[in-house]
Amino acid sequence: MRKKSIKQTQTQKKLLIHLAKKARWVRKKVLSMTVNAGAGHIAPSFSCIEILVVLYQGRVLRVKPNKPKWGYRDRFILSKGQAAVALYAILADRGFFPVSELKKFTRKGSYLGGHTEDTIPGVEAFTGSLGHGLSIGAGLALAAKMDKKKYRTIVLLGDGECHEGSVWEAAMFSAHHQLNNLIAIIDNNGLSATDFLKNYLEIKPLQKKWESFGWEVIVVDGHSYKALLSSLSGISSRHLSKRPLAIIALTTKGKGVSFMQNNPIWHYRIPVGKELKIAQKELTYIRREVR
Amino acid sequence: MKRWVKGMRDAFFESLYQQARTNKNIILVTADTGAVCHDKFKKHLRSQYINVGIAEQNMVGIAAGLAMAGKIVYIYAIIPFVTMRCYEQIRVDLCCMGLPVTIVGIGAGFDYSTLGPTHHGTEDLALMRALPAMTIYSPADSIMADLFVKLSLTQKGPLYIRLDRTGFPLVYKKRLNKEKINIDQGLSVLKRGKDICIISTGRMVYSALQIAKKLSTYSINAEVIDLFRIKPLPKKVLWDKIKNVKYVATIEEHFITGGIGTAIAEMIAVKKQSPLLKFFGIPNRFCRRYGTREDLYNINRISIEDIVRAIKKWIRK
Repeated sequence: MRKKSIKQTQTQKKLLIHLAKKARWVRKKVLSMTVNAGAGHIAPSFSCIEILVVLYQGRVLRVKPNKPKWGYRDRFILSKGQAAVALYAILADRGFFPVSELKKFTRKGSYLGGHTEDTIPGVEAFTGSLGHGLSIGAGLALAAKMDKKKYRTIVLLGDGECHEGSVWEAAMFSAHHQLNNLIAIIDNNGLSATDFLKNYLEIKPLQKKWESFGWEVIVVDGHSYKALLSSLSGISSRHLSKRPLAIIALTTKGKGVSFMQNNPIWHYRIPVGKELKIAQKELTYIRREVR
Repeated sequence: MKRWVKGMRDAFFESLYQQARTNKNIILVTADTGAVCHDKFKKHLRSQYINVGIAEQNMVGIAAGLAMAGKIVYIYAIIPFVTMRCYEQIRVDLCCMGLPVTIVGIGAGFDYSTLGPTHHGTEDLALMRALPAMTIYSPADSIMADLFVKLSLTQKGPLYIRLDRTGFPLVYKKRLNKEKINIDQGLSVLKRGKDICIISTGRMVYSALQIAKKLSTYSINAEVIDLFRIKPLPKKVLWDKIKNVKYVATIEEHFITGGIGTAIAEMIAVKKQSPLLKFFGIPNRFCRRYGTREDLYNINRISIEDIVRAIKKWIRK
């Protein structure tokens, strides 16, 4: 018994190290893609890298890169479409399309742009306009129930996005229809494009809000692989619940580069010169504790 | 003798109900807007009927998700709410993704005459025309509304259907039986004539026929065209019909801005020689007066008499 648990711990440790490596690669890729393009959202992407890595590299989402439209795949919608650049890097790494395509990000003729489009292999929905993803996800989840299919629908939203009224229309709808196959992950970094949410339109208490809309809520550290994995471990047994699940991931916008962290001006800025050198250095050499 | 029949709304949903009984993929989504036939859906096809509540933005997203999973989805509400309130959702979720969702708007023009500008359907054609990938159908009577149901089942992208709530006489009489209406053509010539060509859509097609009848007493022989597909505009067929005519009048229950008149003007403006064009429609201001639908036609100078008078004056000049 003890041997088994030791083995389990070792496999998990290996997985965590694997995820950390992937996250490091994605951050560096995001930086090089955006610098090369002179476009793209770095800080909003850095905020949800661990979430995306856990979903795609942590054996959470059931997807087949060689068959992107496989009927039983889990549906993932990046409702905060501005993090497209991070998703593209991960999708390419998983083999949905060649990694070489990443170099062309937003360049002439490329199909990879600043926001996700449904025609890209591995991308479900056209996003970029905020407040759309959860409704679409709820429609997909409802269809799964109608067709008695077992796929799960996971939607990643920003916390600033929760200012949109349509998010709450969808939240109400999902709870009413008992869409236990729908999971919303909220990237709760406390910032939006221009400022801290608390300075202009407070979104707190987020947990109570989702709970009062009839959702089951888990609050986790959004940069901890362990916490994210454990919060998502129950998604296979969601049929036991009658409620949709909201995972509030506490994150830091711009995570990974010291001067970008929690600084609103980095929502849509690309580092140049000295800034770029520091960013590259920090992403390459600073080893963070794997948790 | 006038033959009053059930409205196009009832004809449309009755036909949809019959289809939905055998095709379980058909889903009707409404934003708390009713119709007589919906009771049947609620009673017999409960799993295929969803009322999302007064939440049109969510309705479009839900429809998109359902369509992505292979459902044939119909969303339904009063025209301003199902087109304008959720316009951006239609643009991104339906048009950008090219999803086969049929938007059914009820209350064309002044159909809800007593409810005021909030409920008038006066900008919907302009808005829907601006969207890439969108197809627009505007039936002139319940026969056409019924035909559009079958058409919508095989539609590849988003479709907007503009319906009337109230019943009025059939435009497509029995002699023009269903087989003879060429749906793919996008328009029907209902009456032949050489002096002026009147192009109309929706309920105004009935008015156009009345206008043509009155004009004939003044020896003006008018051709009447029902333009039931507004987007994509059947340009080639339409141009063939009007290129040799001196006068073309468009009649619609919609703001002149962006309606079928504008669409036709866009088409003929680039031609070397084109007929003279006159628009009859609602002037670009909110109608803040109440009454029956006909009262509002009078107020906005689009009643049969107003148009006959204007055309007579125009042609005789």
